[in-house]
Amino acid sequence: MRIVLAEDNDILRKSLSFFLESKGFTVDQFSDGKDALEAIEKNNYDLVLTDINMPGISGMEITQHVRETINSDVPIIILTSSGVEQTELDSFDIGANEFIAKPISPAVLLVRINKLLKIKA
Amino acid sequence: MSIENPVPDNEFERLAALKRYNILDTLPDHAFDDATKLVSYICGVPIAHISFIDESRQWFKSEIGIGVSEVPREISFCKYTILESEMVEINDTFLNERLKDDPNVTGGFKVRFYAGVPLTTPDGFNIGTICAIDHVTKTLDENQRNALSIIAKHVINQLEIQTKNIELAAQKKIAERAVFAKDSFLANMSHEIRTPLNAIIGFTDLLAQTELDETQRDYIDSVQIAGENLLLIVNDILDLSKIESGNLAIDSEPFNLKKTLKHVYNLLKVKVPKEVEFNLFLDADMPETVVGDQVRLNQILVNLIGNALKFTHDGEVTVSVKKVEETEDHYSLRFSVKDTGIGIPEDKLKTIFERFTQAEESTTRRFGGTGLGLNIVKQLVELQNAQIQVKSKEGRGSEFFFILNYKKASAIVAPVKPLSKNELGNLKILLCEDNILNQKLVRSVIQNFGFELDIAENGEEGIELLSQNKYDLILMDLQMPVKDGYQTTEYIRNEMNLNIPIIAMTAHSLVGEQERCYKVGMNAYVPKPFKQAVLLKTIKTVMSQDLEQEKKRIIDFSILDEMACDDPNFRKEMINLFIEKIPAQTEQLAEAFKNNEHDTVKKMAHNMKSSLDIFMLSDLTNCLSIIEDEAARGEFTSETPDKLNILKCGIEETVKILKEL
Repeated sequence: MRIVLAEDNDILRKSLSFFLESKGFTVDQFSDGKDALEAIEKNNYDLVLTDINMPGISGMEITQHVRETINSDVPIIILTSSGVEQTELDSFDIGANEFIAKPISPAVLLVRINKLLKIKA
Repeated sequence: MSIENPVPDNEFERLAALKRYNILDTLPDHAFDDATKLVSYICGVPIAHISFIDESRQWFKSEIGIGVSEVPREISFCKYTILESEMVEINDTFLNERLKDDPNVTGGFKVRFYAGVPLTTPDGFNIGTICAIDHVTKTLDENQRNALSIIAKHVINQLEIQTKNIELAAQKKIAERAVFAKDSFLANMSHEIRTPLNAIIGFTDLLAQTELDETQRDYIDSVQIAGENLLLIVNDILDLSKIESGNLAIDSEPFNLKKTLKHVYNLLKVKVPKEVEFNLFLDADMPETVVGDQVRLNQILVNLIGNALKFTHDGEVTVSVKKVEETEDHYSLRFSVKDTGIGIPEDKLKTIFERFTQAEESTTRRFGGTGLGLNIVKQLVELQNAQIQVKSKEGRGSEFFFILNYKKASAIVAPVKPLSKNELGNLKILLCEDNILNQKLVRSVIQNFGFELDIAENGEEGIELLSQNKYDLILMDLQMPVKDGYQTTEYIRNEMNLNIPIIAMTAHSLVGEQERCYKVGMNAYVPKPFKQAVLLKTIKTVMSQDLEQEKKRIIDFSILDEMACDDPNFRKEMINLFIEKIPAQTEQLAEAFKNNEHDTVKKMAHNMKSSLDIFMLSDLTNCLSIIEDEAARGEFTSETPDKLNILKCGIEETVKILKEL
């Protein structure tokens, strides 16, 4: 299973990809939203994991682009440290499948990914 | 032919009168040009002028058909006119004995007809003339003569007005300077009075804590009350001068509204006589915490409630707060203070907010007060973009009310852990203060607390003591000779690199001062005259922040370990990354804050939170959230430098622990 991960914070991004790779996923990681989006356009990913606030393109814009321009229904999980309810509503509104507030519990993240990919733990 | 040169008897005074108007050699002026034209039209003459005659010349303020700005006095016809009190009219100069051989009759201006009215000042001096001149013989009719006289009067009036205007402008400047001088005098005096008052109140406080007999206790109580009243008056005056000079800023900090109201209620409850019922009604859905100016709300309510209690002998005084509107980010709250007191006559309702007016002249005598309270209340309410209103019926009571808008509080304010005195142990404190009375006062108070105190006369001396001894805390006066409190703190923070807690103590309480204290790196601020309890509380606050930091931090690696899936190498890699990146980012964040770059601060604080999350440093993440919020609002309060400080220390400590692993 191939996951694209867009997150500009180094420590979090490296930790998440290490964790997911340890769990058997292939992870392509990007610190810039634009690079992540280019990769999504070129490759076939099974899941998109993206932060909201990033340089270049935001996670919201990536989600919108994937749904509206690429017309793909690849599962998308949005990560954010914003505690604002509206952000969560907006995320679902534009087509995200999951919304996980930071701090992220790796175990919870894994459960949600598995659920979206219909993998039995 | 010898030219006659007659001089009026009062020539000396006449010249002085002329000089007073400062009209000679001035630029052309419409008002005078219009008058000259009028003369020319009315009399139907080609030449007209308004002129002034000094020692040696006739100078034309305005002229038609002459073409020069002045002529020697000797050849002027008007030298004769200023000798007269009436209009001089010469219908045919050829027939006039004095003029028929004049060079300006035989040639030159070819004057055949001359009519001149002396310009007479209100005090009776002929300083010049207004004239109509023609090259042909002429006789003015009665209307023309009248008109000429009237225009002459207008010219003098014009001169008077101009002179008065100049005088007024000068007076205005003097008045403005005087107001400015008054304001700075008031501010300075208030400051100068507060400093010794600080000592009076402080020592009385100390004296009251010693063993006293009943009479002595009574005396001391009286001194305390008088001292506090005096302080109220001085504060009123200082507030007014600050409001007037636009130096009073309204704070925007989160505060607990309910607590503030209960505090005001409890504070004033003790003054309520038995016959009066004192109520505080709070709306059930009134917000607990709002963002605004707690101190000023306090001041407004204490003032209004104090008045209500003063003027109510039986019945009730009711304070109520009601939420009237709530939007996404604001609350509108209606504050009301209602009493059943003596009330205000209808014709006085408008003036009660003016200074030094109470409803009755005799009120001051009966009820006391500075007469400044309501004026300050009004201005404080208006500074918060609201209006104070009053409803009253004489003999029935009054209601004062206003609606304030408060921003909703979004940031979670970290509660300060309470700490009892003995928890602090024996603190060694350094006081930098030049005033001997204040030194003595602080020494007694600090010894009362059970702490040790060293005193430095100024900042320079303080720095020297600090480099020789170990202190737990510094109390810093701001105004000192040699090195003031700001310079000293900057030196301690930047040159000595010490993060010892520093508490500012000052009698200024000026706008921006508090911010400046935090900016140079002080940890807290105590206004003088200080209350012992306030000082102790502040010491506890800064020391508990310090203790919290000193308490060995235990880092929770559970998330990192979960992420690392128990791979020790990856764990180590992330720890190294933290050590390498986070302190530098903290520095950058502090730098961006210093440069007031809201956007950068917002982005950096946001980004850093994710890093700290992995190491579960939730207290520091909270600091970042608060900093991020303030940056997003585009407005830093004292909270940001405070949290930055905590963050910096927390990161330093974390890195230290991580390195030791």
